[in-house]
Formats: sequence, structure tokens, C-alpha cells
Amino acid sequence: MPYKKFLIVAAPLLLLVIMLPASAFSKETASCLACHSSMKGRLKSAAGALIELNVDADRFQQSVHGGLSCTDCHMRFADNPHATPGAAVPPAVVALAQKLSAKHAVDPVAAAACTGCHEETFTKVLASVHGKNIIEKKQTDGAFCIDCHGSPHYIVKVKDPRSLVSREQQVETCGRCHGDKKLIEKYQLQENVMESFKESFHGRKLHLGHTKVPVCASCHNAHDITTKNDPASPVFGKNKLQTCGKCHKGANEKFIPAITHQKPGPIPHYTEKALILLLLSTFAFIIIHVLLEAFSDIRDAIFRKGREE
Amino acid sequence: MSQTTTSTTQEIPKEIERFDIIFRIQHVVMFTTFLLLSFTGWGLKYAHAPQGVASMWIRVWGGAETAGLIHRIAGVTMLLDFITHVIYLVYLIAIGKITWNTRTTVIPLPKDVMDVVQNFLYFFGLSKEKAKFGKFSYAQKFDYWAVFWGMFIIGTSGFALAFPVFFSNFVPQFTSGWIWEVLSIMHSDEALLAIVFILFWHFYNEHLKPEVFPMSWIWITGKISTDTLKHHHPLEYELLFPDDAKKNKKG
Repeated sequence: MPYKKFLIVAAPLLLLVIMLPASAFSKETASCLACHSSMKGRLKSAAGALIELNVDADRFQQSVHGGLSCTDCHMRFADNPHATPGAAVPPAVVALAQKLSAKHAVDPVAAAACTGCHEETFTKVLASVHGKNIIEKKQTDGAFCIDCHGSPHYIVKVKDPRSLVSREQQVETCGRCHGDKKLIEKYQLQENVMESFKESFHGRKLHLGHTKVPVCASCHNAHDITTKNDPASPVFGKNKLQTCGKCHKGANEKFIPAITHQKPGPIPHYTEKALILLLLSTFAFIIIHVLLEAFSDIRDAIFRKGREE
Repeated sequence: MSQTTTSTTQEIPKEIERFDIIFRIQHVVMFTTFLLLSFTGWGLKYAHAPQGVASMWIRVWGGAETAGLIHRIAGVTMLLDFITHVIYLVYLIAIGKITWNTRTTVIPLPKDVMDVVQNFLYFFGLSKEKAKFGKFSYAQKFDYWAVFWGMFIIGTSGFALAFPVFFSNFVPQFTSGWIWEVLSIMHSDEALLAIVFILFWHFYNEHLKPEVFPMSWIWITGKISTDTLKHHHPLEYELLFPDDAKKNKKG
């Protein structure tokens, strides 16, 4: 009997042990974080790039990458990190890292390491307008993985409102470049995209907390994004039929011009002006009439008492 | 009018029916849906109001999805209410219950413009006489036709925006580049006009005016006392009770 009693007590405890998070980090990661979780500030590398020293251990652990160890991405820092960062790196990653060295001067290998797990996505990005801008044109102010997703240390699931690419935050994230005057000018980007989205039904509903409303990537694609002039773009010409049709079943050619990022043309502009004129003149009439009538009622009550029946 | 003058004086009832039960129900459906549409639509029109007040307001209506559903259901109900009204009018004309008379018609006439001028003269103290109305004063005609205007502008654009793919089938190709923008401007601007109109015009005339405050009860009872009728709709009163009206004039 005591044996059974022991089981009753021990079984839940055992279960609890299983359910408790296993010691969070591997030994190796823990030793990196021992310093880097308490370090603050940035360091300038020999090449002049700024290295962010701090890694928030708690946020890292909660992120989708919390199970990885530092060296899974920071491959060159395998053993004695800061003296000889030169551990063996797979040649594919080295080749990629070279292409990324302009954009990610601090640790291009780590930036290229994403492909280790996200190869399919990474290939799409490289072929996209964003990827080509980085790889072929060697631009440093264009978007790459972390510009949209934030630091890989803290990435959360896309459904999480804290994610920079979630429905709640995505428009603002894209807007950091697509609403930036300098970048719009430099890359000849379509103007007015942020304003027109904000004004549109989609933008308004998003702001009011609608949970199914489309945001940027819903129509323009995400990793394999192209310019709107590329025939492969989901918003190029008749491709819109299919793109709008994802939500609006049966979308036809007369329906798809409903949403654009263009500024409204002259007809809507003057229609609005005419309606505002009508609005103001009606207001003026009814307000003047109501006030005058009220005053005349007061006047009659005081000075013309009993005159009317 | 065609009544031959009989020696027996006409019996004057205490009150007469102004709006029958069908009209009263139509009015209740109209203002219920109007309020629902205004409340939910306002949140969308001013979605970007500061401090997120619009999102808070929309949460009161069950969130963006639910508020949208309420708005659509109320909108369709209002359109059906309006159609019912028009059909009922046609029916009343067909059975001869509504006949043409300049004193009872709701259709605006040149006299209404003169009435407005007359009343403004009175307001400014330039005339000692207020305008004399038939069954419907210019204020009431204005109120009535505002709904028609609203139905035409807000109703059609609202229907188009609620069922855009369906509506797009009826849109001429050459307008598709701007029609959607125009539709949403029409809907939103005229809705604002309708709300302010109701708030000032209708609320003042039927609620806040000292003589009707807190409200004119005709919307529930449908009845108007002959006293009020004589006072506010003298031309209709003369039409209904010619003998009494004549007597009063003489006396």
C-alpha cells in the first residue's frame, strides 16, 4: 500500500518535471549569453560597422528561434570566438555571405545562415525585387530579412500582434520604406501608397481591428515580391482578377479598379466638391431657419402674448 | 369641396388620423435602421479619429466585423422599407385614397417657396402673418423628400459598396476607373448631411420646438387633434371642415 501511495504523490510531480521547460539554453549558448545578455551599447568593428552587443536572453528564449544555439547562425564563432572567428562554414553559406557583405557588414555569415532552415523562402527573396536590390545592386538601404522581421533573436510568429509583419503591424513596417520620401525618390517607388491605403475601406477596417482585412502582402506577395510593372506581379494587369478574387469571389474587370494607390482623379474630386457645397448650403439654411424660428418664438412669447388665439 | 352646403353643421371630431398604421410602422423601421446605420457608419467614416476613439466606439458595436454586418443588414432593411413605402403609395393612389389636391399633396409647389419667404419675413418682424400650410408644411416636405434624396444617393451607393462584385456587373466599363471612388464619397458625404439634417431640422421641428417638446406624438398615435390641425394646417382644416372654417372667418 505505501508503494501505491507513493505513486499517487510522485506521478503528478514527475509530470510537472516533464512539463517544466527544460533548461533553456545549451551550455554553449548560455556561455555566450552570460556576457551578451548583460552587455549594453554598440561597438564599432574594424570595417566601421556598428555591432549591437546586447542580446535580451528572455526575449530570445520566447522567440521562435529560442531553441537554436548562437553558433547555428553565427557559424564562424565556433570555439574561441573573439580571438579567431574562423570556424568552418559550409561553402553555400560563404558564397551567400559574400553577396550580403555590403548589407550586413557585421556578420554576413549569420545573415546568410537563414537559408539553412528557410531555404525555400530565401531563394524566393533572392529572386524578388527586394533581394535583387541587395545582391545585384549592392544597396544597403533596401529591405532584407531583418528589415521586415526585426532582429532574428526576437522573431515571433506572424499571427502574434507583436510581430512586425503581423496584420496589425505590417503596413507600418512596409511604410518605413514605402512612406519614406527619400527612398521613394531614390527608387522611384509609387507615391501615396500609405495615404491611399489608410483612406481605403481596407485601411479603415484594419484600423478598427477587423481581423480578416487584407494588408500589403495579401495583394503584393511577401518574399517573392515584384514591382507592379512585372508581369509576374499579383497586381499586374489582369492578375488582379485572381488576387482580388481571393476575397471577392467573381471579381471582374470592372471591379478590380476599385482599389488602387493612385490619387483620386478629377471626377471624384469635383463630385466631392459639389457634394460639400450642397452639404454646406443645406446646413446654412437649416441652421439659420431653426435659429430664427426659435428667436421669433421667444419674441412672440415675450412681446406678442396672446396675439395668436 | 363638392359637398353641397347642408343646413346641418358638420360634426367636428376631436382628432383625425394623420398617418395610418402602415406609415407609422414604416417610420419606426426607417428611424431604427437610420440610427443603427449612423452609429456604425460613423465609426468607419472617422476610423482614424485621434486616440483610437473610433476603434473603441466600434468595439461597442461588437467589433469591426459585427458592426459591418449590422450596417449591411440595417441598410438592406431600410431600402426594403423605402420600397414598401413607394409601393404602398402607389396602392393608395390606385384605390383612390390619395387624390391630387394642392392642399394635401406632399409634392413641393411654388407656394412652398412663398411660404419660406413669408416665414422669413415673419422671423425678421417684417410681416405679422406666419405662412399658412396645407397638410404638409414646407418643413415637413423638406423632411420627407430628404429621405428620397438620401435613398437615391446613399442607398444606391451603399448597396453598390456592400455588394461590389454584384454591382460591378451593371457598371459601364468607361466609369470603372472612378465610379468606386465616387460611390464612397457619395455615401460618406451624404450620410453626414443626412445625420446633421436629422439632428437639426427633424429634431428641432419634431422634438425640441417648445410647442412639441419632448416630441410630437403623432408617430405613435397617428392622430392629430383638430385644434392642432386648425392651428398648424389651416388650409387642410378648411378643406376638411369647410363649414366650421367659414363660420370662424365670419365670426
